[in-house]
Amino acid sequence: MQLSGLKYGSKLLELVEFPVAEFLTGAATHDEIQNLINKYGKIVVKPSFSGGVGKKGKAGLIKIVDNLTDALLAKEKLYFATIQYGSKTVKANGVTFEAFIPAELEVYFSIADSTIYRKPIFTISPYGGVDIESLGPDKIKVNDIDPFIGLKSFDLTNQLNDTGCPEEFISPLVQHLPKLWELYDNYGLTTIEINPIRMARINNKLVPIACDIKASFDNDSPAWKRLMLPNAIFQADTTPFESEINQLRTYQGQSDVLEMNSNGTILPFMFGGGATSAATETLGASAIFASDFGGNPPYEKMYEISSIVFKHWLPKANVLVLIGGKANNTDIYVTFKGVFDALRDTMVRDGKKPLYVIIGRGGPNLVKGMFYAKDILDTLKLPYRIFGFDTSMIKVLEYAKKIDTWWGETGKAEYIKKYKK
Amino acid sequence: MRQLITKPFPYFVGVHSLEELVTKENRVCIINILGSESRKVTPVSHEYSGGNIVAGVQYGRRGVMETKIGDIPIFRSIRDVKDHEINFDVGVVYLPPAAVSQAVAELVNYNHDLKRIIVVTEKVAARDSRNIRMICQEAGVDLIGANCLGVANVWDHVRIGGALGGDTPEESLRKGSIAIHSNSGNFTTTIAQYLSTQGFGLSTVVSSGKDVFIHFALPEFLYAAQNDPRTKAVVVYVEPGGYYEKMALDWIAERQFGFNKPIVACVTGRWKKDVNRACGHAGALSGSGDDALAKEGWFDTYFGVDAFDPKNPVVSKRGVRVSSIQHIPEAMKAVFDKIDETIDFPAQGDLSLKPWLGDSHIKLPASLDIPLVEAMDPYNIQIKQINKQVGAHYLRQNMSDKSGASRMNPKTQVSELHNRTVLELSQCSMEENIYFSLAKVMPDKIDIPTINFLLNLFLKMDETRMNLVDVAKENDCTPNAYIASQVALIGNKSLLEKTRQHSKFIIDLIREFELTDETAKLPDEVDTYIRKHLLTKDAQMKSEVSEMLLNEIKKSKKKCIPVQVCQHIITISEKENLSIRDTYEFLLASVGVCIFWKPMLENRITRLVVEDSISYFYIVARIVAYSVIDRANNKYWQRLINTKISNINASFTENAFKILFNRPPTETELFEFKALIGLTLTNGPGTISAKGAKESVSARNNISMAFVGFLTNTGLAHGGNGFEAVHYLLEKFQNVNLTDPGEKNHKVDLKTLSIDAARLYGKYKHIEKETGELNYKKIPCVNHPVFKGNDINIDPRENYVRMQFEEKGIYNIFLDFYHNLVQELFNEGITKNVFCVNVDAVLAVIILKFVWKDLQDGKITTKQIQDIVFTLFLFGRAIGVSAEIADHRDRGTDMDCRTPESKLAFVL
Repeated sequence: MQLSGLKYGSKLLELVEFPVAEFLTGAATHDEIQNLINKYGKIVVKPSFSGGVGKKGKAGLIKIVDNLTDALLAKEKLYFATIQYGSKTVKANGVTFEAFIPAELEVYFSIADSTIYRKPIFTISPYGGVDIESLGPDKIKVNDIDPFIGLKSFDLTNQLNDTGCPEEFISPLVQHLPKLWELYDNYGLTTIEINPIRMARINNKLVPIACDIKASFDNDSPAWKRLMLPNAIFQADTTPFESEINQLRTYQGQSDVLEMNSNGTILPFMFGGGATSAATETLGASAIFASDFGGNPPYEKMYEISSIVFKHWLPKANVLVLIGGKANNTDIYVTFKGVFDALRDTMVRDGKKPLYVIIGRGGPNLVKGMFYAKDILDTLKLPYRIFGFDTSMIKVLEYAKKIDTWWGETGKAEYIKKYKK
Repeated sequence: MRQLITKPFPYFVGVHSLEELVTKENRVCIINILGSESRKVTPVSHEYSGGNIVAGVQYGRRGVMETKIGDIPIFRSIRDVKDHEINFDVGVVYLPPAAVSQAVAELVNYNHDLKRIIVVTEKVAARDSRNIRMICQEAGVDLIGANCLGVANVWDHVRIGGALGGDTPEESLRKGSIAIHSNSGNFTTTIAQYLSTQGFGLSTVVSSGKDVFIHFALPEFLYAAQNDPRTKAVVVYVEPGGYYEKMALDWIAERQFGFNKPIVACVTGRWKKDVNRACGHAGALSGSGDDALAKEGWFDTYFGVDAFDPKNPVVSKRGVRVSSIQHIPEAMKAVFDKIDETIDFPAQGDLSLKPWLGDSHIKLPASLDIPLVEAMDPYNIQIKQINKQVGAHYLRQNMSDKSGASRMNPKTQVSELHNRTVLELSQCSMEENIYFSLAKVMPDKIDIPTINFLLNLFLKMDETRMNLVDVAKENDCTPNAYIASQVALIGNKSLLEKTRQHSKFIIDLIREFELTDETAKLPDEVDTYIRKHLLTKDAQMKSEVSEMLLNEIKKSKKKCIPVQVCQHIITISEKENLSIRDTYEFLLASVGVCIFWKPMLENRITRLVVEDSISYFYIVARIVAYSVIDRANNKYWQRLINTKISNINASFTENAFKILFNRPPTETELFEFKALIGLTLTNGPGTISAKGAKESVSARNNISMAFVGFLTNTGLAHGGNGFEAVHYLLEKFQNVNLTDPGEKNHKVDLKTLSIDAARLYGKYKHIEKETGELNYKKIPCVNHPVFKGNDINIDPRENYVRMQFEEKGIYNIFLDFYHNLVQELFNEGITKNVFCVNVDAVLAVIILKFVWKDLQDGKITTKQIQDIVFTLFLFGRAIGVSAEIADHRDRGTDMDCRTPESKLAFVL
């Protein structure tokens, strides 16, 4: 879960009293926009995106204006602007009008967990406002953070000195930046990036003012919920199917899904993080979603997950795949009972649906689980092949893909013809 | 305190060789030892490792965990463990995520001998993960996990911290020369299994976890593997996210530490490149430079060869990367050939497609039609054994005050049986509901005549013994008492037991010979088996009833394997002029198995329920039989028992009505009768009627005694409210000229009647309150503790039935009176709002309507009405209780209804 921009980012910064550029949302009246222009001379118009979207400047989506007409024109242009971010095209939903802060220095600052240091780190550069990957190593510095102490002023001072930051800016930065550790450490953040921090002169004092922010949150930490951010800002991250499954998220038993291709034809129940990674890769575009239902989920959870999956995808699916390696701890019987009870109940409720079932699995109570599936599939007269863990799970997945193709081309029609009564 | 640093690393690593990571000498303490995961895993680990777990912590509790090699003591905290002078050097944490950092801090604070902590817990917050690392780094403790399955030292037969190898570790963890470091716990075991197909065993395997922070990561693992004389090569399974692998390979390249053993590395997760949310492992989420493609590149550069191609296997002495885990064994073999090493043991099996089970529903094209393969040992034996099993299975548990059959929906206050509301079920016949209570689904239409046949058959049996019921009635026994006394005598009579044994035989036969609906012809061995075990030359008793049953089965057009088998048995016996042992019981069993076969195969019900089904039918039918009112003068009862075969194909519901009211029901009455029975089916497992049955099961009584438990736990308080309502209505209508309560144009001034009743009650209430008596009588069937507080209150259950009646044009003057009454109680200021007419009123008004005419004609007494009210409650509840008994027999344990001493109180 991520957020970007001042609209909601400012709420985070206000919590720790870090100065933020004054801004208005897209709902501002003409008078309010005019007043902001009058106060600052210029304003910056930016599109608002849900989730974490960066590099807006590079994409030409930031407009600096000095009059209402241009501000409104920019609003019209940017309100539904799109940006290519990773593989996704993201569409804006609104704009912000932000005060233009005249500054003598722009600073880049971020805190993140580092797998190199195996600690949190901060990254700082007095050459901010640009894509920091373009900066040479002498202009940007990284320092680890002791998680029990937080940001140390001397580390900040030393690193700023090493980047050649002009002296007068160091003290105000060292006064304000440690507040961001409090935010990072106490509210379940995994990254916070402020770029730029513009060093404004207010009442003849230099003050760092955050002009853009990106933050990501730890799904496993409930602390970010204390921020009371509206759910809507994270909704862009999840599809209705994903959010329905996400509600079942508890520490006992996984219930992770990631919708991959809503036009796919294989319904894959993957068990274990490794299986998720390997199976999604093998199934490619055929997989409707990636999933991890391992971690020994209790029956009730598995039944609920399966019911949701079938409710959303059974009408579209050709093949149901249950795939995992040789489970260590997951009770195969319990999980299969959950899945196949749900399949049976869904079909009883919504009518039978032609479906080929492929299973590849190993682990405790394996044969009992396999037979549970077999009995229900036989009653539903659904075709199936069940493999043990002495077959490569990748080969099972490749076989499932072939079955999927055959089922789509002729198999399903043959089946319907045979069982149309 | 400062973070410790141990060269060659810029951080603390307490392990020099993989041999030392976990050993036989380690002594282990498990935190949250009684958590659901640990409870299963810990005993297996303890037994596999020869008893290395010296203590467990379950916060706030003491006790022991039993294992096959001795008990593990359980303490209230880590301090408590240390206070008992128990020393350990490895801590394993199984706590929920929020508690993990606390436990790590506690372990480190209270145990200065600690060497390692393994955190099994998933979904630990990144903040806690970095904090526990810091705690351990400062204390000089190695941390493994979180979100991992720990470590196994295969040479020492030790596994600590998780379920590597599952419940049979020996099967996958075989001694050899390969060390595994895997981001996936499951793949750790799976790769171990795969490696054996090329003859490779294991030295030490590490499930590293794949959270953002991996605390025992590849650099320290490779360093320790290099120093491990047992390890000849390493398998690494890697997912996107994190620079651990790059650091390890860079440090080797920079000679920060020496490493010259080959690695086979598998990186998966290219698809995660553009995903911004974790699915599966929390830390398997990449930034721009640590995605799967980048990681593949790191390894390829290190190995100096491209990814492994099984068709053209090129590897270097440093190893090779494989694109999928299935290529690991072949790649490792190629690497071993390259370095001139030998495998650990003869190769076992292969990874080719080997379906263990498949269907015959549809023919696959030749290219996809892979023949079924016998599973590897011991799974082949298990398959043979389990193939004989059929039906649902439940884990046994304490079922006191719990039910898998019924519940009172807390939102609607409507009771449900097998997920269907009593409102829905009140539209079904008794025979449908009796079947449903056991099968959890309504019967197929084709089966309803068979169910009626069975129930009616049992209804008319054993009339001679019913003289005792008359004695009981003379002694003023209530219906539950005289019915219970008779049901108790049923015991486990030979008829029921033999039928049960035959049911078992039929099911065993079908599963033993793997017969299915698709079986076109029964194999010859089946005939031999039948001749040997079932047929006899001795003549068996024949009766008109058994002939009817025989024909019932012979003519059945039902397409399912038990029908086919039973018909086949009959054919053989007739053809070879042999008799079926205990023919009558066999025929009963055949019918029972046939009608319950489908729900059993759908795993809705257990095999036990199918085997007991005839017992349930018998007892419920007998409860109805023992309830007959005025037996001597009930011409329908006489006809039922005196004629050899009479009414046997009629609806059981109609027969039940007739023997209570001595007349056939009209269509309207039948509808009302079904509603009456359906509404009383269940009120959830908390009712004392259900508890009586459940407690009896808990004491391991047979089914008939469980019904006695239910019956003895009912009383006038049950039928009482209904009867009080009948009594109240009789009082109000005593001077009313009413011939037909179902006639809407009755010309009775209900408004005046209601006003008078309301005022009379108001006066009574006022006097009682004035005299300080607050426990004054309430009008029966008015008001409800849940459906109250609105201006106008409605009991949705009563409303549902009333709407049903209105839809069918069914009128009931007494119900109409009740609705007028609640309005007038409000109009007269006696109630603060319009009270609801509750569902009990429905029962009372229907019964009064049924008996009104006979009462006016003096054909029925008020005592008999009281019995009828009570009996009808028993009819409905007996059906619901069947489900409760079956459920408790399936899931419960002996004595599980016993109340623990801690919940008991002594009252002065």
